[in-house]
Amino acid sequence: MYAYNQFDQTLVDQRVDQYRDQTRRYLAGEIPEAEFRVLRLMNGLYIQRLAPMLRVAIPYGLMKSDQLRTLAQISRTYDKGYGHFTTRQNMQFNWPTLESVPDILADLAKVQMHAIQTSGACIRNTTTDPFAGVSADEIEDTRPWCEMIRQWSTLHPEFAYLPRKFKIAVSGSSSDRAASQVHDIGLHLYHNEQGEMGFEVLVGGGLGRTPVIGKTVRKFLEPQELLSYLDAVLRVYNLNGRRDNKYKARIKILVNAVGIDAFAEMVEAEWQFTKGKDLRLPTAEIERVKGFFKPPNYLSVENAQSSLKAEMAAHPQFAKWYKQNTRDHKQPGYRIVVVALKNQLQAPGDVSHQQMDGIASLADQFSFAELRSTHDQNLVLADVAQRDLLSLWLKLTDLGMARANIGTLTDMINCPGLDFCSLANAETLILSRQINETFDDMDYQYELGEIQLKISGCINACGHHHVGHIGILGVEKGGKQVYQFTLGGSASNDASLGKTLGRSIDQDQVVVVIGQILDVYVQQRKTDETFLQTVRRIGFAPFKERVYGTHQRSAA
Amino acid sequence: MALIKDQQLSLSHAATPHIRFADWLDDDLVISDAVLTNGADDLACLLANANKLSVIAIEFETFADGRGFSMARMLRRDGYQGEIRAVGDVAMDRIEFMHRVGFNAFELREDQDALQALAKLGEVSVHFQPSADGKGPAYMR
Ligand code: HEM
Ligand code: SF4
Repeated sequence: MYAYNQFDQTLVDQRVDQYRDQTRRYLAGEIPEAEFRVLRLMNGLYIQRLAPMLRVAIPYGLMKSDQLRTLAQISRTYDKGYGHFTTRQNMQFNWPTLESVPDILADLAKVQMHAIQTSGACIRNTTTDPFAGVSADEIEDTRPWCEMIRQWSTLHPEFAYLPRKFKIAVSGSSSDRAASQVHDIGLHLYHNEQGEMGFEVLVGGGLGRTPVIGKTVRKFLEPQELLSYLDAVLRVYNLNGRRDNKYKARIKILVNAVGIDAFAEMVEAEWQFTKGKDLRLPTAEIERVKGFFKPPNYLSVENAQSSLKAEMAAHPQFAKWYKQNTRDHKQPGYRIVVVALKNQLQAPGDVSHQQMDGIASLADQFSFAELRSTHDQNLVLADVAQRDLLSLWLKLTDLGMARANIGTLTDMINCPGLDFCSLANAETLILSRQINETFDDMDYQYELGEIQLKISGCINACGHHHVGHIGILGVEKGGKQVYQFTLGGSASNDASLGKTLGRSIDQDQVVVVIGQILDVYVQQRKTDETFLQTVRRIGFAPFKERVYGTHQRSAA
Repeated sequence: MALIKDQQLSLSHAATPHIRFADWLDDDLVISDAVLTNGADDLACLLANANKLSVIAIEFETFADGRGFSMARMLRRDGYQGEIRAVGDVAMDRIEFMHRVGFNAFELREDQDALQALAKLGEVSVHFQPSADGKGPAYMR
């Protein structure tokens, strides 16, 4: 993976000093509250209901084991011994003190990490496919491009005070695992008919209050001009995005207001000034960055393989885990392993310091000392030789991280909701607990197949509920917490926004309603049909009939 | 009012331009080579007239209004060589970025200490992207 040079290190170190001085002046009363708010947000520090919350950047989800150990250490020293992986592949700490943040940032800088631009109205951490560089269906490795975007966007002087936050996602495989269609900019690496590699550029996707699927603004972008083109989009947005209403300030609103064609013309006009100039990426620079992402020293197939069949026969639980939590690898003899952060006891995405240390050691032992975070709040060990799978599984089992539920109902995404978030309308973590208690039969979950359940505690949609096959949104009605269901959303290639099923549901009825929805699916599905396919085929009527038809349990 | 200009504290300097760009444009009787503008003005028009101006003061009504950053950047890109002055809600924590995009003068908000502010220029000494300050991106060094 990318390693800092003196240049990167200087930048991060100086940034820590700068923030230390800002914190000192704020505490001395020299920076007004409203202004410090913006300064701390640019360094990932929110003030939440109970305490500040610090969001640490994990650029495109890639980490070294040492970095994860530092995160574990930080959680012990400054927090309550755990961290939380977010849907944008970052890590959040929920309990640091404002005064300690400069020290945390200094600790992070020692292992080439930071919290720069993890919040605020600026260009955020670029996200990508957690299987980049290893997946069997990959067209092109996205990581070097993400790194080039990271560098360009870091402390960008012109784009630090945008109308609103700005998120970029990059996908380079035939299946989109980066939710690129619901980002401000989505980039798809592909080969055109002439066989040249380039980007399709989508703009104006996003969730939140006004969910929108991104639209193509440029069919093919020559990769050398990636930064000059992004620069043009950002400048058009910075000058023209709405600033009078923060709910209408995202680029999606601008794109919808002027129309995608007019927007594309504005970008093209601006691009004429920057194309082919100093933002054009020299081939040598592209090659230099690509050099950081060369494949590791894989074992030969013969050495990497083992008697997998016999091992599975001897350990049926291992066989289930293999099937559910590992994926095909480019390299023969290797598997991609998804480590579930979705057990019955912890909130989705939460990870204790012992687990972080444990996983870091497993990465050292079995996956070239690297790991990744995913946008559905799990971890990935990307390069595990087949012969090591059984030992890995045994050790993950000890850590409570071998639940074989990836892609199933209980592999849900969940925002923190009312337990932590000051914007929340309703609790969400209680729902994940109830769901885990009710649907604890794994065989039933396997039977159901792939289901993406996504839960948000308010309309800001941090839990991506619009793109859940089943989405749940917490709302408040007459002082009561109730939940709105949506069905049929997806963040993959066939991206779509879920539609509301009907009246909101009381908290104690949420699991009942999930059960009813699943019943309808099981009754109506055709052979091999997934939940999403069934919903799309049969429509909402049968679900509505089952949920609302005979019962009167709505919360008005 | 403290003014930082060309990376120095400026003791003798012109007062804040008070003629709005829109008025300057509309009224032939207004004779001045210094105007006050902000993100609400017609930027294309400003760019077209910049060569007639020696001071362009870009106003930040609130510090969060980042349009001024792109305005300065585009003025410099077009070859404008006069003064670009940041006025309004201008504080030490933003002047480094302002400087990078092409501002060369800063009228600081009243609560700001000018000497302290001066020390903020160049606080982060390395840059990943080209800007109006002529410093190239990392890969061009
Ligand atoms: C606990 C404190 C949090 C606060 C105050 C917060 C606040 C917000 C707000 C206000 C939005 C809406 C932005 C908009 O519509 O422009 C948003 C969106 C979002 N947040 Fe959070 N959030 C928090 C935690 C999280 C967590 C823990 C995650 C990940 C698990 C997360 C991931 C996201 C994502 C993915 C969006 C997507 C919406 C979009 O970009 O279109 N947030 N958040
Ligand atoms: S969706 Fe709402 S409740 Fe959940 S974290 Fe985001 S802002 Fe908070």
